[in-house]
Amino acid sequence: MKLEIQNVSKRYSGNKYGLEGFSINIEKGILGLLGPNGAGKSTLLKMIATVSKPSNGQIILNKNNVIKDPNYMRKQIGFLPQDFGVYPNLNAFEFLKYMAAMKGVGGKHLNSKITELLEGLNLMDTAHKPIGSYSGGMKQRIGIAQALLNDPKVLIFDEPTVGLDPEERMRFRDLIHQLANDAIVILSSHIVSDIDTVADKVAIMKNGNLLAYGDQEELINNVKGKVFETTIDKNTLNEFKQNHLVVHSLIKGNSAIVRFISQQQPDGALAQQPTLEDAYLYTTKTS
Amino acid sequence: MYIFPLIKYSYLQRVRNYNFLITLCASLAVAYTFVPAPDANYSTIRIVDYVGHYNSAWFGYVSAIMSSLFLSLVGFYLINGGIKIDIQTKVGQIIATTKVNNSTYLFSKVISGFLILLTILGIVLIMNIALFHLYNENFPFEIFQFIKPYLIITIPTLFCIAVLAVAFEVFFRKYIILQNIGFFFLFSFLMLSSRTREDYFSFDMLGTQIVMNKMENQVRELTQGDRIKELSIGYVIGNKNATKKFHFNGMEFPYSFVISRILWVTLGALLIFLITGFFHRFSLNEKSVQKTPKIAIKTGITNKEIYISGLSKLTTNFSILPLLKTELLLLIRKGEKWFWFINTIGMLLLAILPLEIAHQFVLPILWFSQVSRISELTTKEFTNKVHYFAFASFKPLHRLLISQLLASSILLIFLAIPLLARLILVSNFIALSSIILGGIFLVFLAAAFGIITKGKKLFEIVFFMITYININKIPFMDYFGALSQNNFLPIKLTICILTLGSVVFCIRNYQLKTS
Repeated sequence: MKLEIQNVSKRYSGNKYGLEGFSINIEKGILGLLGPNGAGKSTLLKMIATVSKPSNGQIILNKNNVIKDPNYMRKQIGFLPQDFGVYPNLNAFEFLKYMAAMKGVGGKHLNSKITELLEGLNLMDTAHKPIGSYSGGMKQRIGIAQALLNDPKVLIFDEPTVGLDPEERMRFRDLIHQLANDAIVILSSHIVSDIDTVADKVAIMKNGNLLAYGDQEELINNVKGKVFETTIDKNTLNEFKQNHLVVHSLIKGNSAIVRFISQQQPDGALAQQPTLEDAYLYTTKTS
Repeated sequence: MYIFPLIKYSYLQRVRNYNFLITLCASLAVAYTFVPAPDANYSTIRIVDYVGHYNSAWFGYVSAIMSSLFLSLVGFYLINGGIKIDIQTKVGQIIATTKVNNSTYLFSKVISGFLILLTILGIVLIMNIALFHLYNENFPFEIFQFIKPYLIITIPTLFCIAVLAVAFEVFFRKYIILQNIGFFFLFSFLMLSSRTREDYFSFDMLGTQIVMNKMENQVRELTQGDRIKELSIGYVIGNKNATKKFHFNGMEFPYSFVISRILWVTLGALLIFLITGFFHRFSLNEKSVQKTPKIAIKTGITNKEIYISGLSKLTTNFSILPLLKTELLLLIRKGEKWFWFINTIGMLLLAILPLEIAHQFVLPILWFSQVSRISELTTKEFTNKVHYFAFASFKPLHRLLISQLLASSILLIFLAIPLLARLILVSNFIALSSIILGGIFLVFLAAAFGIITKGKKLFEIVFFMITYININKIPFMDYFGALSQNNFLPIKLTICILTLGSVVFCIRNYQLKTS
């Protein structure tokens, strides 16, 4: 199982690119896609999912060009878009049957598979109510269920944890760990904590370009020895932010505890163990 | 003042909509025909055999009357939905938390809708002035003769239409079917309620009767006869050779009429203030929650987990039947359940009324009442944000699109079953095939307009016009064999369906490949 993105670009108009000369090779396991809003994550995922077509470049799945033959990808993809909707007049069962028909799967086990998914996603009690009456988190779980209907070998989750409560997030993480045993899972988010606990590899994007790609350890090594923490007067925090790359700050009384990235260790600052969030901020802010 | 920004941004939001451009282009194309070219083989306003010389007055009054009728007809469908957009975009919920009161909000919607119609009217007026010079019959250009009928007839009418569009949205809330049908009957009533006595011209909201009466009287004086009840409005083809010309020099509107036009505008404004009490102020969700049983959302920890390896295995199934079934479900469940009671009554009328009436009047109205169902045929993926799933589905063109076309065709043909059964009994197979093909034609037209414009407005407007024209027995838009039953109609319809089908498949295929 190998997905190759080769020099892919998406040009909107003139010289405006959503993605520019993007290349990456993805194998079985979980790829975390990190980047600020507007980095091109959703654009890339939509192209892999065959919803959108690249202006240039190739997308190859197991040596098959999916731009020329999108149905090859469609047979084995599970896609959870960032901003998706549902038909409000259908109930969960009907909607998932409809999705199964769209994906070209069915058979005598369809009802039992839908039941298993709805039970596993804690939706069975409301499975016969119109989806229009569901909460945001419930709709998100319906989206996850439809992505799993066709035993996908490529799973794309664009901001999947939006609307999920902490318990559901934990269950979702367990789920994608299982999925990654036998499939390519691409998980996009701008929240680092969604990625750092699950991703085998991480790609960091900004302005339609790939800034960094590798194991979490490799990316974290880039900021090793550059992360510090210090306590300053809270009135000087803004000035401090202008001179340093601040990861986060915590105000306590008149003081502010600041975690920041610096090439050299300032006086009074303590060196810290770097995290993926430090690496992400360092990569996106300094590129 | 909150109202000016509200009007400005509501206007800009609508003007920048693709539907506006489409409607503007369509309006200009139609407006081009309001005053026929000198060598054209049709007439629009004609009194027996008479039409006016192409002087400024004839051009101005005829184009003003036709604009009043045409823009009333399509304008409602163009501008209604202003509140619905705020509901869909959730902007309404933000507005509901501001100081903007209901009357200010509703009035801003009326004015922005009115400005939209005025924008179209302004362009139509300019085009008619240009046509006047193009068709020049050596009459002087008198700007006042042009502008006066627009000011007194058309502009107040358009204001009233803008008021009605908002009032219908307030009263019928999210029931778009009722808005469409309600306006259809109201417009038909306004057109049919002919007022010939001067005392009653003031009650004519469209404001056209007084001018037509003046034209009739002038021709009556010319012919010394009183058989002048043959004034025709609309597109009458042929009979060109028998056309005679008379001088129409405009008219002095009685003060009472001018005041009545001002009163219509005042009444419209008052109506908006009166209905503010009925405005939901975007609290629709609360009501729907009350109606639907509360769903208990489990928050406790559940022991159930998904074990991917233990999930049932599915087999490949490329049949479109499951898709067709769901598409039918979506069509059936669209709108309120009780509306199926109205459909049942329509089907009963198809079964018991005289065949001609059932075919000519009941069927087109019954089909038109499905407008909100079929107008969304190829756009509902976008409005419900399901297009990512649809476009990433397996062979979306050959499976999903076909199931959508089939489901809608089945719905329209199902509604016509009582009439079809009667036609089988009388062995009228031409009419039978015309109805079936007519239903399919409507579906393909809806699909084509939906795919091209990415919205449903254009189809709604065109469908409304076609239905209105057919009910008025104007034969050139007969798509279901009610007025002219000949062997060629099924062939013509088949050609139209195949053409539309090609357009639908080519454009959707292009959209899928280039999105």
